[in-house]
Amino acid sequence: MSTIPFSQAKLIELNCLEPVFFASRELSDTYYTEGLLGNYALTYALGWVNSPYRLQGQATGRPTYKEDFQTIAQSCYILPASPIGRVTFRFERFNALSDAYWYTMTNNRVATAREDLPLQRQGKKPSSFRASNFPQTGRLRMIERGNKFQTLVFGNQQLPDYIRLGKFASKVKVNVLKEFPVTLLPPGEYQSQFYLNVADLPTQIEVFAFDLISIPPAPILKNLHFRGAAWQIGEMIVPAGLHYCGRENRNE
Amino acid sequence: MSIQKLSPVLATTYENFPKGRFITLIVIRTTQSETIFRTEGSGESMCNEFVQAGVTNDNIIQRLVMTKRKQVAPERRYGREHLRAHDLLFTNIKDNSICSLNTNAPCEMCVDCFLYGFAAGGGGAQKSRIWTEDAFSILPATDVVGDRTINAIYENGTMRDEKGNASTALNTSEYIKPGVHFLDVVTLKDVTTDELRYIIGNILFTSRYGAVSSRVGRMENQILGIFGSITELPSSLELVQATYDALGEPLEHPLNINRVITATKQVITNWQNRRGVSVQLSDEELTNLISDVETHWSEAERDTFLKRLSQSYEPFRQVAPDKNKGKGKGKNKNTPVEVEN
Repeated sequence: MSTIPFSQAKLIELNCLEPVFFASRELSDTYYTEGLLGNYALTYALGWVNSPYRLQGQATGRPTYKEDFQTIAQSCYILPASPIGRVTFRFERFNALSDAYWYTMTNNRVATAREDLPLQRQGKKPSSFRASNFPQTGRLRMIERGNKFQTLVFGNQQLPDYIRLGKFASKVKVNVLKEFPVTLLPPGEYQSQFYLNVADLPTQIEVFAFDLISIPPAPILKNLHFRGAAWQIGEMIVPAGLHYCGRENRNE
Repeated sequence: MSIQKLSPVLATTYENFPKGRFITLIVIRTTQSETIFRTEGSGESMCNEFVQAGVTNDNIIQRLVMTKRKQVAPERRYGREHLRAHDLLFTNIKDNSICSLNTNAPCEMCVDCFLYGFAAGGGGAQKSRIWTEDAFSILPATDVVGDRTINAIYENGTMRDEKGNASTALNTSEYIKPGVHFLDVVTLKDVTTDELRYIIGNILFTSRYGAVSSRVGRMENQILGIFGSITELPSSLELVQATYDALGEPLEHPLNINRVITATKQVITNWQNRRGVSVQLSDEELTNLISDVETHWSEAERDTFLKRLSQSYEPFRQVAPDKNKGKGKGKNKNTPVEVEN
């Protein structure tokens, strides 16, 4: 890649004003958030692309990252946010209740059909007492309030002061720390300090070593050691040619 | 009409895509009785969090937290009570039961479903357009939490039953004292005038929060400010910290509510210079708006108001006319809900 699509990049800090939750991993009734913020989530949160308030029909079957990001891929890009220092987590228990006056907590189910109670007492299992296929109770591991993350924003977009992240739309403060010009480095061996989205990596690089954080929708790499062209942003280095769903598009 | 002053940031109708219209409500929530907010079950301590005391005062103190779900759950339930009473809850397709929270079968049609959202497995989902935040107590948790010992006596009035066995129903649990103030920032996105009235009504009229709310948990909500903007305003944590600084020392429980309100209002006046703020209601406009909300929720007008609000979603409940007849299924792109305006 000879040209750089983005002439400048901003180093930003994300300050969690509330506990942040993503379902990165689900183990039994415990739902884990990994200690990072995915760049697709950040792209939506920054308001660069919008998702509808209501999903219906076919739209529920598949996310529309490719379609959504296509419109902005030429003008901006954001890396997954990596923690500043150690990430701290908190656990929280949740349980869901209905709006009925009478209810009972059964096997992962809040039953509200009172008329089923005599049946239940006879040892029969009315359907309203069977376990539900969506969580009624469990524990959440969330990124604790006060954790800070940093990431690079490429392009010239205006950034909001606050964004909302995660399942519970938790408030996060955005601070721009510094702006840098982006310079292109010739192909060579480099090490990147930033977290990188596997789906966005350019195809031309040779990858030597990395740590993998396996989360949906795409795994995240850290400590990537690679050979190829690179972008230099201040003292920081990332592979050149990062692009939303870059790997996907070239495979097609 | 003060509500019209907000019209640049109000939607004219529900639309499926966000349009960058933010309304921010500054709410002060005051406990009127003992209250219980805990996340780890009975016997555990109250929800609290170590945070910086003020923006400039960098002492670390432990503050009580009223988490976002403890605010929004009773408030949407309040609204639903009236929707149910006025026959505005719909039946869902799945099992033909009437719309009910937490059954995996929301009706997807009622005012509550459209505003506060739902997530049903596979069948679709609606994001909430009401963004809440954890609210914080102004004073440190240690100052405003007390202990109560509870014992459940037998019907003979003693702790021993007729066989002489001692009762084991003895427990000590923490509670939040009456007169504790929580400061809160509520953000509304792309709501219409009637939706705004509905939400404000829910906030003002909900009176019980937290655990054991049939006995304790009485709370009074007051709205101290309303902003319209193109972006989000500071968080409730920053609000409570700035207010803490503005209150000055010495602070001890019980705080005078008027002193708190003055300090909070002083803090939020500076917000009108923030990036993106286009409207701030004055005290008088705020009072007018609250009485407008109360009129719409009054016995005389509630039925008309709720029915009109419910009616506004009617286009989204209709099945679109099939324009591509004979072209096979899956081609009909004109389902109204998915149309981007």
